[in-house]
Amino acid sequence: MFEIKPIFNALCRSKVGAVLLFLQIALTTAIVSNAAFMINDNLSYLREDTGFTQDEIFSFTVMTFGKDRDLRQQTEIDEDMIRNIPGVINATMSQAVPLSGGGSSSSVRLKPLPEESRQARLNYYYAGEHALETLGVKLIEGRNFRPEEVIISSNYHEKGPSTVIVSKAMAESMFDDEPALGKSIYLAGRALEIIGIVDVMESAWPRAQDSGTTGIVPFINAQNYQYFWVRTERGERASVMNIIEEKMLQAYDKRVVINIEGLDDTKEAYDATDVLMMRMLMVLVVILVLVTALGIFGLTQFNISKRTKQIGTRRALGARKSAIVRYFLVENAMICTVGLVIGSIAAIFLGRVLMQAYSIDALELEYVIATAAFIFMMSLLAVIVPATRAANISPSIATRTI
Amino acid sequence: MLKMQNISKVYQTDSVQTHALRDFSLEVKEGEFIAVTGPSGSGKTTFLNMAGILEPFTSGHYSLDGIDVGGLSDNQRADLRNQKIGFIFQGFNLIPDLSLFENVEVPLRYRGVPAKERKKRIEECLEQVGLASRAKHLPQQLSGGQQQRVAIARALAGKPRFLLADEPTGNLDTLMARQVMELLEEINRNGATIVMVTHDPELARRAPRNIQVVDGQLADFTLYQGVPEASQPVVDTRIKAEV
Repeated sequence: MFEIKPIFNALCRSKVGAVLLFLQIALTTAIVSNAAFMINDNLSYLREDTGFTQDEIFSFTVMTFGKDRDLRQQTEIDEDMIRNIPGVINATMSQAVPLSGGGSSSSVRLKPLPEESRQARLNYYYAGEHALETLGVKLIEGRNFRPEEVIISSNYHEKGPSTVIVSKAMAESMFDDEPALGKSIYLAGRALEIIGIVDVMESAWPRAQDSGTTGIVPFINAQNYQYFWVRTERGERASVMNIIEEKMLQAYDKRVVINIEGLDDTKEAYDATDVLMMRMLMVLVVILVLVTALGIFGLTQFNISKRTKQIGTRRALGARKSAIVRYFLVENAMICTVGLVIGSIAAIFLGRVLMQAYSIDALELEYVIATAAFIFMMSLLAVIVPATRAANISPSIATRTI
Repeated sequence: MLKMQNISKVYQTDSVQTHALRDFSLEVKEGEFIAVTGPSGSGKTTFLNMAGILEPFTSGHYSLDGIDVGGLSDNQRADLRNQKIGFIFQGFNLIPDLSLFENVEVPLRYRGVPAKERKKRIEECLEQVGLASRAKHLPQQLSGGQQQRVAIARALAGKPRFLLADEPTGNLDTLMARQVMELLEEINRNGATIVMVTHDPELARRAPRNIQVVDGQLADFTLYQGVPEASQPVVDTRIKAEV
């Protein structure tokens, strides 16, 4: 019914067009499946919860050049002043801005050096008891810092903190499923007791591996270059951002306020390269798929014009229109299947090369299968129009002397 | 076998109407061998297309083996061609990418004949035309005469009761033309009805019955049955029509 054998034999006898087409299909499958995987990986990353109420938070940088103030005192004055601005929920000073691409990270251990111990990477923010509310992260175990636990100092080693709040991911990476609350981790030689665990809290590098293993260390080291985080009521952020510079300079004018930016914009700027790459990949995928579809369409069209008399003869010999359409569909399906098999193998191979070269995740087989299925369906669609046109060739063509 | 009554075929272009066949009536009995002659543009090919159900006619009535062709759907017409008619074309119309075996197989596949039966039938037909040993060859590896014999094998494969031959020797030299003609005569002797369109008067004379088509109409019936070949006249349709 499907004439598989004669179609296969005919393809083997005039194979140039078929070979070119299946190579194109193979190439498309290999590239599109990897690109689709990367796009989806990127999309799921972009959709990931950071734990922060991004559209309510903004940050800014303060560069102080005045030498006539105690920066630690000034920080407390500034924080109080900001918290009293109408529309502000909370504010805190820190050494880094979440999601910005710049921050602090260090390995933490269960035991101090030089003892052998399990280690993990901790991406941390220095901030006080206002940090949880300012960031909008959810405390799921334990408690917030008490004011006396927040250490205002410039010497971490001698007069540093002794508590820490970590993310669930951090707790799990150090203690697996065991309870982490009350246990200590060593950061730069100091034992920090875990007094609270928050659900999700992203680091300053959300794209990095282990970006979710974070913590808040209650240590305020006021310096002349520092960051503030401010959380406002919904809809109030823009107006607070507009007046923040003026308010800060009113409080003390020997400084500069820069980089006043919503946290969602910070994330967007951080993701800009990834988003651009994703868009380029999308364009590449669309172009490749379109070119392949046009290639299939064109080859079928060419085959039909080359075989007009043959189609007429087949019709004269008793082929129904559906048999002509089926002939081209089967022929295309055969070429496509060969291309998809080769392309799928190439896709897996390319995936491995990319994984090794760019440290990306291994290509999941589902993407290869889904891409192959998509290209197969697309190829059938590309064939169906010219094949239907071929089926309408009159059988009387067979008696014409061309 | 074939009965056409007042068949007309009009080709319509934007501004021109061409009457390719006008009130064409013809009856062909089972087992007849008819040669259809006529000058170029007379409507021979249109007649062939109508008789072979390759094109719909504009008006009239046509029945093939008792089946009214006029009311059939496209699929029914395809099935009827497949089951009742064997076609032999001037240009052989073999499919170049298929072997001789696969070429002969084409109508049988459309009929849904099982593979085993197909193979047996194809071998029989290729044997009948003397090309069984070359079943795996491609058409371009054969001479014109051999190709036409393959086309005849293809026409015979479905055991049709009605063979339509369109200038079957038109592309062949005299020797090969004679061989093909002898093959057709043998097929006719075995019971098949043959309608052969030709412009070759000598070939036409070999058919027991001749008809001429002029300006889309049937010009004359000439029965040569029983008349010795030497005494058959060379037919000039125009003159005969006037007589």
